[in-house]
Amino acid sequence: MTPSLLPILILIVPLVAALGLLLTPTRNLTTRTCEGVHIGSIVLIVLLSLGLAASVLAGNHPSSLGGWLYVDALGVIFLLIIGVVGLMTGLYSIGYIRHDLEEGLLDAHRVKIYYGFFSLFLFTMLLSATANNIVMMWVAVEATTLGSAFLVGIYGQKSSLEAAWKYVIICTVGVAFGLYGTVLVFANGAEVLSDPHQAVLWTSLAENAKLLDPSLMKIAFVFVLVGFGTKAGLFPMYAWLPDAHSEAPSPVSGLLSGVLLKCALFVIIRYYALMIRSIGPEFPQTLILVLGTLSVIVAAMLFYVQKDLKRKLAYSSVEHVGFIAVGLGLGGPLGVAAALLHSINHSLAKALLFCGSGNVVMKYGTRDLGKVKGMLRLAPASGVLLMVGALALSGFPPFNVFVSEFMIFTAGIKAGYWILMLVLLGFFTVTIAGFVQIISGSVLGKPEENAKVGDVGKQTLIPLGILAAMVLIMGFAVPTPIARLVSQASAIVLDSGDPIVVKAPWSLFGNEEATVAEKAGNLIVTPAAAAETAQNTETK
Amino acid sequence: MITLPTTFLTFLALAATLVPFIGAVVIASLPREHAKWICHGFAAVTVVIALVIAFAFGNDSHVVLIGFGDTEVLGLTLDRVSVLVALAVISIGYLVALYSIGYLNEGNREHPDIGRRRFYAFLLVFIGAMAGLVFTSTVIGQLVFFEITGACSWALIGYYETPKALRSAAKALLVTHIASIGLYVAAALLFIFTGTFAVTAIATLTASQKAIVLLAILVAAWGKSAQLPFHMWLPDAMEAPTPVSAYLHAASMVKVGVYIFARGLLSSGGAPEIVGWVGCTMAIITLVYGFVMYLPQIDMKRLLAYSTITQLATIMFGLSISVFGSDLAFKGAIAHIFNHAFGKTLFFLVAGALSYTAGTRMLPQLRGILSKKPLLGIGFACAAMAIAGVPPFSGFFSKFAIFAGGFEVGKDHWLLMVFVAIALLESVATFAWFLKWLGQCIPGKPSEAIANAAPTPFTIQVVITVLIVMSVCSSFIAAWWLG
Repeated sequence: MTPSLLPILILIVPLVAALGLLLTPTRNLTTRTCEGVHIGSIVLIVLLSLGLAASVLAGNHPSSLGGWLYVDALGVIFLLIIGVVGLMTGLYSIGYIRHDLEEGLLDAHRVKIYYGFFSLFLFTMLLSATANNIVMMWVAVEATTLGSAFLVGIYGQKSSLEAAWKYVIICTVGVAFGLYGTVLVFANGAEVLSDPHQAVLWTSLAENAKLLDPSLMKIAFVFVLVGFGTKAGLFPMYAWLPDAHSEAPSPVSGLLSGVLLKCALFVIIRYYALMIRSIGPEFPQTLILVLGTLSVIVAAMLFYVQKDLKRKLAYSSVEHVGFIAVGLGLGGPLGVAAALLHSINHSLAKALLFCGSGNVVMKYGTRDLGKVKGMLRLAPASGVLLMVGALALSGFPPFNVFVSEFMIFTAGIKAGYWILMLVLLGFFTVTIAGFVQIISGSVLGKPEENAKVGDVGKQTLIPLGILAAMVLIMGFAVPTPIARLVSQASAIVLDSGDPIVVKAPWSLFGNEEATVAEKAGNLIVTPAAAAETAQNTETK
Repeated sequence: MITLPTTFLTFLALAATLVPFIGAVVIASLPREHAKWICHGFAAVTVVIALVIAFAFGNDSHVVLIGFGDTEVLGLTLDRVSVLVALAVISIGYLVALYSIGYLNEGNREHPDIGRRRFYAFLLVFIGAMAGLVFTSTVIGQLVFFEITGACSWALIGYYETPKALRSAAKALLVTHIASIGLYVAAALLFIFTGTFAVTAIATLTASQKAIVLLAILVAAWGKSAQLPFHMWLPDAMEAPTPVSAYLHAASMVKVGVYIFARGLLSSGGAPEIVGWVGCTMAIITLVYGFVMYLPQIDMKRLLAYSTITQLATIMFGLSISVFGSDLAFKGAIAHIFNHAFGKTLFFLVAGALSYTAGTRMLPQLRGILSKKPLLGIGFACAAMAIAGVPPFSGFFSKFAIFAGGFEVGKDHWLLMVFVAIALLESVATFAWFLKWLGQCIPGKPSEAIANAAPTPFTIQVVITVLIVMSVCSSFIAAWWLG
C-alpha cells in the first residue's frame, strides 16, 4: 500500500460539486453555472482516475485514510469505467437536459437537482470502487441506490416514480442480504485476526483468508451473491432493473446499466477473490456460473419480446451481466480476464446505445418501437450510431463486445463446458434477432408522412461519436495499459501472485507474465495457484 | 503487437481489404448523388490492386499483422489459391458495382429506386470483407470476416425494406450466425490446443483434434454455402436487389463457406478420412435435394438459388474427396469456385436485366428473348451452358476435374464411386433441365413482356458482355493459374 492523496481527491471532487449544487438555492444558480460545475466535476474525475491508473501501472497501490480507501488494478479498472462512461454520459446530459428544459419536461429547479445528484451518484459509485473497508463497501452500494433513485424519478411522472419506488425497495431489501454477508465475513475475521480492527479491511482479510472458517464463508458468499447480485441485476432479483433503467433520463440509464451494475459486480468480485483464497474456487464458481447462466437465458427471452426500446436495452444489460458472471464462474486466468474485459466493453457499448435511445426519445418523443420508424432518413447520424451500437452489442466484429464474448467462449471450451457454451451462444443468437428487429423496424423503414427531417443537436452527437470510436478501437486492439490492468486484476482475483513466470493464455493482450508476479507481491502464494499456472504452461 | 506488412505483395493484400472499407466511410460522409461513382471508383481501385497482386505474384508469402509472442491473431497469407479466389471476388464485386449504377434507378420496372448510400457502402464493405477473408491466415480472422459478411448480407438483402425482405435478411443473418458457432469452436479449440490462431497450426494437431477442428469449420462452411441443414436462408435471400443476389450467390457469401473449408484442408497437412466422409455425404444429400427443388421453380431467381445450392454442393464434394488423396479434385473444386463465380454472376445479372427491362423474371412469361434482346439471349444461353457444364464453357472443365478425381479415389472405396455416380447423374439432369428452359425462353416469337421491354442500360450491357467472355475463358485462366 502506498499512501496517496488521489483516492481522497477523486471522492472529494464529485462530493463537493454535488453538495455545492444541491445546497445552493435555485434562484442563485443559472443553468449555465450548473452545467459548468457538472463538467468540471466529471472532467476532474476522469483525470484523477487516469492518474490513479498510471500510479497502479507504475506498481503502486494508492491508499488513504488508514487503508480504508485502497486502489489496485482491479479497482482501477472500475474507476476508469466510472470516469470514462461518467464523462461521456455527463457530456451527453448537457444537450439532453437542455432539450428537456425547452420541452418543459423539467424546470430549472429539477435541472439543478439532476446535476447535483449526477455528481452524488458518481461519488457513491467511486466510493464503492475505492473502498477497502468491507462495511464501507456495503454502505457505498446502498448509497448508490439512494443517489440514483432521485435521478430515476426526476420526471416526477407516475410511471417514473413507481419505477424509482420499486428500485429503492427491491434493492434495499436485496442489499440487506449483502449486509448479512458482510457482517458474517467481518465477524469471522474479527474472531481469527490478531488485530480485530484489521478484520474490516479487504486487504488484510485477503492476506489471512486461510484462517477464516470455511462453512461460515460459504454462507456469507451466498448472502453476498444474492444481495449484491440484486444490485448487479443477476437472476433472480433483476425485476427492478428494466423499470428503473427505462424510466430514468437516457444518460442516467447509460450510467445505471453501463456503470452501476459493474460496481455491484465489483463488490461481488472482491468477495469472490476472498472466497478463492479461503475455500478454493469450486464453490463460488459453481454458484456464480449457475446464476449467470440463468440470467443470460431468462434475459435473452424477455429481451426478445419487449416492445419498448429502453426496456429492451435494460434486459440486454441483465444478459450481459449474466455473461460476465459466467466468465467469472468459469474461472481460470482466461475466464476472469475475459469477464473483466467484457465489463469494460459492455459499459462502453451500452452507454452508446442508451444515449442513442435518448436521441430517439428526443426525436420522436416516444420509446415505443412500434412508433419509431425511419430513423436513418429522419436523423441519419443518430441512426448510424444506433446501428453501430446495436451491431456491437449483438457481438459482431469488428466491435469490442465480440472480442470479450469470444474470450469467455474460449474459456468455457477450455474449462470443458461444451454444451453450456453452445447453449449460451444460441441464446445470444436470440439477442441478435432482437437487435435486428430494432434496426429493421426503427432505424430503417419509411418514416411517417409529416415527420420532420433533421438530426438532434451536436452536443448529443459528439459524445456518442466518441463512444462509438472507443467501441471500435477496443474491438481492433485492446490498448496495452488496459490489457496490463486486466491481466494484473485477474491475477489479483485468482491470487496467482506467485514468483513463477506465468505464461497464461491472456498474454494474448501483452506479455505481462513477469510483471504480474511482481505487482501482486503483497498477496500470498498458494499451492493451488501454482498448480493452476503449471497446468496453463502445459496446455500452452 | 500490431506490425505493418513489409513486402510489396502483402502490403497490397492489406490494401485490397482496407480500401473498400475506406470507400464505405467516404460514401457515408458525402451526399447521396456521389455514392454510386465513389463506390465504382473504390471498387475499380481494388480490382487494380488485385490484378497487380496476381501479376506480381511469385512465391507464397505470409505475414503476421497482429500477434503476441507466438500467438498469431491476424495475418495475411498469399498463395495460388487465395490470389485466384481474391481476384474473382474483387473483380465480380466491381462488375456488380458497375451493374448497380444501371440497375438501381427510377427506370427499373420491377423495383424503381434511387440508389441509396446504404447500398453502395455495404457493397464496398462486402468486397473488403471478402478480400480480408480470402487473405486472412488465422481462424479468428476468418470468423471476423465471416460475421462481417453476414452483417453486410443482412443489410443488402433487406435493402428494399419490405417486411418480407427484412424477414429474409434476418433469416440469412441468424442462420449463418448459428453456423458461425462452428468457427467459434474451431478458433477456440485451435487456440487451446496450439496457443495460436494460425490456420496452418491445424497441421500440428493430433488426428482426433484435427478432425474436431475441421468438422467445426465444416459446420460453419455449410452455413455460409447454404448446404443442408442450413440451406433455408438462400432461396429467401432472393428478396435482395438482383445485383446483390448475384454477388451473394456467385462470388461472396456462399463462397465464404467453401473457401474456409478449402483453406482448412489445405493447411491441415492431410485431413482424417472422417472429415471427407461427413463432407461427401452431406454434399451428396444437398446435391439431390437441390436438384429436386429445381423442378417446381418458375421464378428465374429461385431456380438459380437452388442451382447455387447444388453447385456449391459439387464444390464441397470435390473438396471432401480430396481428403482421400486426390489433388485433382481439390484443384477442380478451387477452379469451380472461380468458374461458378463468373457463370452464376452472369446468370443472375441476365435475370436482373430482364426484370429491369421487362418487369418480370417469371420464366413462363419470358419467351423469344433472342430476337428482341440478342445480348441478353446470348448471355442467358452462355450462363446456362456454363452452369450445366457444357464444353467449351468454363463449368465443364472444373466439374470434369472433380469427377476425374472422384473416379480416381473411387477405385478404393465403392461408396465413393456411388457418390460420384450420383453427382454425375445430377450434372446430366441439370443440363437437361436447363436445356428445357433454354429452349422455351430463348428462341421463338417474343412474349408480351419481352416485346414491350425497355432498352437495356449501357453499364448493364458492358457488364454482361464482359461476363459472357469470362464464362468461356475463366476455366482456362484457372487451369493455367493452378497449373
